[in-house]
Amino acid sequence: MLKKYIISFLFVFLQYLVASQNAAAIDYKAYGFIQPEITTFFNGDGRHDQSNSNQSIFVKGTFITYLNNGDQKITINTTGRIDEKDSERSYIDFQKFKYEQYFDDITLKIGNELIFWGVNESFNIVDIINQSNLAEDISGTKKFGQPMISLNYNHSYGNFDLFIMPFFKERIFPGRNGRPRLALEVDKSTVAYESSSKKNKIDAAVRYSTVYDDYDIGIAHFYGNNRSPELNVNPLSQKLDAYYPILSQTSLDIQSTKGAWLYKLETLTAKNGEERHFGIAGGTEYTIYGLRETTSDLGIIVEYTFDDRNDFAFNNEGVLALRWTKNDIKSTSLLAGLVADMSGSSNRFFAEFEQRIRDDLKVFIDMSINGEIDADDFTYAFEEDSQLTLKIAKYF
Amino acid sequence: MKKMKFAKIIFIIFALFPFYLSAETAEEQGLRIAKASYENGRGFTDMVSDQLMILIDPKGNEVTREVSGKTLENLDPNDGDKSLTYFKTPKDVEGTVMLSHTHISDDDDQWLYLPALGRVKRISSSNKSGAFMGSEVAFEDFSGTDYRKYEWKFLGEEMENNETFYKLESYPNYENSGYSKRISLIDNLNRTYKVDFYDRKGELLKTLYLEDYVLYKDKIWMANTMKVENIQNKNITIFKWLNRELDVGINKKDFEKSSILRLAD
Repeated sequence: MLKKYIISFLFVFLQYLVASQNAAAIDYKAYGFIQPEITTFFNGDGRHDQSNSNQSIFVKGTFITYLNNGDQKITINTTGRIDEKDSERSYIDFQKFKYEQYFDDITLKIGNELIFWGVNESFNIVDIINQSNLAEDISGTKKFGQPMISLNYNHSYGNFDLFIMPFFKERIFPGRNGRPRLALEVDKSTVAYESSSKKNKIDAAVRYSTVYDDYDIGIAHFYGNNRSPELNVNPLSQKLDAYYPILSQTSLDIQSTKGAWLYKLETLTAKNGEERHFGIAGGTEYTIYGLRETTSDLGIIVEYTFDDRNDFAFNNEGVLALRWTKNDIKSTSLLAGLVADMSGSSNRFFAEFEQRIRDDLKVFIDMSINGEIDADDFTYAFEEDSQLTLKIAKYF
Repeated sequence: MKKMKFAKIIFIIFALFPFYLSAETAEEQGLRIAKASYENGRGFTDMVSDQLMILIDPKGNEVTREVSGKTLENLDPNDGDKSLTYFKTPKDVEGTVMLSHTHISDDDDQWLYLPALGRVKRISSSNKSGAFMGSEVAFEDFSGTDYRKYEWKFLGEEMENNETFYKLESYPNYENSGYSKRISLIDNLNRTYKVDFYDRKGELLKTLYLEDYVLYKDKIWMANTMKVENIQNKNITIFKWLNRELDVGINKKDFEKSSILRLAD
């Protein structure tokens, strides 16, 4: 209820701000794209009797305006999807809907925001502010906007950020017809929290970040509802009950840039409910520029992640990937690689191709092929979900 | 007799004087002209502009790319300028922001914000010879304007279009350059008119023409059109600076990594 009031207030405030400007003087940018997608699955009906094909439309719209000679900024960034098969995958989200005020060394921000922390290409274990939308993408890289009030202080020693975050958003999982999906459905009616304020708990985070020579460094602490719930099988309903503990996480992320070599490290220690855990993820990226006297570049990415929780899904995984960029007018590129559980219980091959086919059209082809997966690995539920997706984005 | 000797010495000094002048080696003369040419474009403090890039293939097909940018002159003569570039078209890259801190002897520091990823990434800048947005302009053509990045040699004077130019040869002294040498023609106002680029094998790769020179603040010459003709693949890139303004008073902090997000979507 309170959330609705605040959003209405913010909306009216923004309208007031825009209206108070000389209408002719408002300078804004507005752009976006609409992207139809078709997916076909190679293994017939899935492990959970899903369909062997899917169609979907994804949209993204961006609006930015600066007021008072650039001292204030309003950003609206909306994403949405209509999915043929999975109702959980149909959504609309204001990833960004924020007002920013710039003072000399201080930035004040109010509204929905996406905050990314981390340096890795694959395992961004320190990235904690925003909730993941697993229905959109099972790997968790697609996120929802997080309402917040944030202050940034830009000092010559680095940047200090403070985030106060009301309105926790529960994680979204694929629905019954989603593909891939978990073995069991997540029951939305039994969600429980460690915090007595439940989803009204006000979460907080601080971060210090700086650039020192070839190093980009970030140190952060987060205290609030864990974005990632514990999922427990309810023997009566045969569904998964989600439980959100309180997470107190301290993290460090560093990238060192040495010529064509990038060295990346993310590490954290966290108290999740009553238990403390440790995680580390990192690797290198090396790029060969002007491959064999052409204009193409070839990047080689090797990353690894470790977590000391035995029951954690990604506690011992490696990635080996190649990124080929042609550097042509069409911005042709291909990313392909292997994600493997180092204990040998699962592996997956992926390839992502993209090319601009007209000034306002871009085609994406994504492929994901699962190898044999052990029945006790949590990705066993996705074993038969090898897929090919064609997306065409039309930009406005 | 004594007077005679004095006159003789004076005579000898005068006789030697022209020789003393020409004692500057071809390398020193090349460096002097290159330095003067470089300093021709200095003293702008900061700069904003919109840039238009027209890519033309051998069949005559054209595509246009638009960016806008800000540059902060580094008043420390031993370090490079800082620049911020905002990409407007093609539409799929709209909202992309690139920040560069250039250095004279070290690799530049570069950060890129990509809207599709929603994150600021530190990127490698050792990609000197790579193409900027699929054009015939290499990254090093932007970052390598400082005369100290090359060894110079004066080759003589050359007539072209009824005008006399200084002809200079230069060799990059940084790593990973795509060029073995460059031949520049510089006019008597120390403005670069034309540069021939030779690839690593020593073959002529492309020719750059600098046109539409405008005198800013009564002392700074800047070319507002740059045309690159690739001799080998026959592609042409035309780069135009529009609405260029100098000394507008940009805040230094706009060129810090954390300020990228102020421009980002």
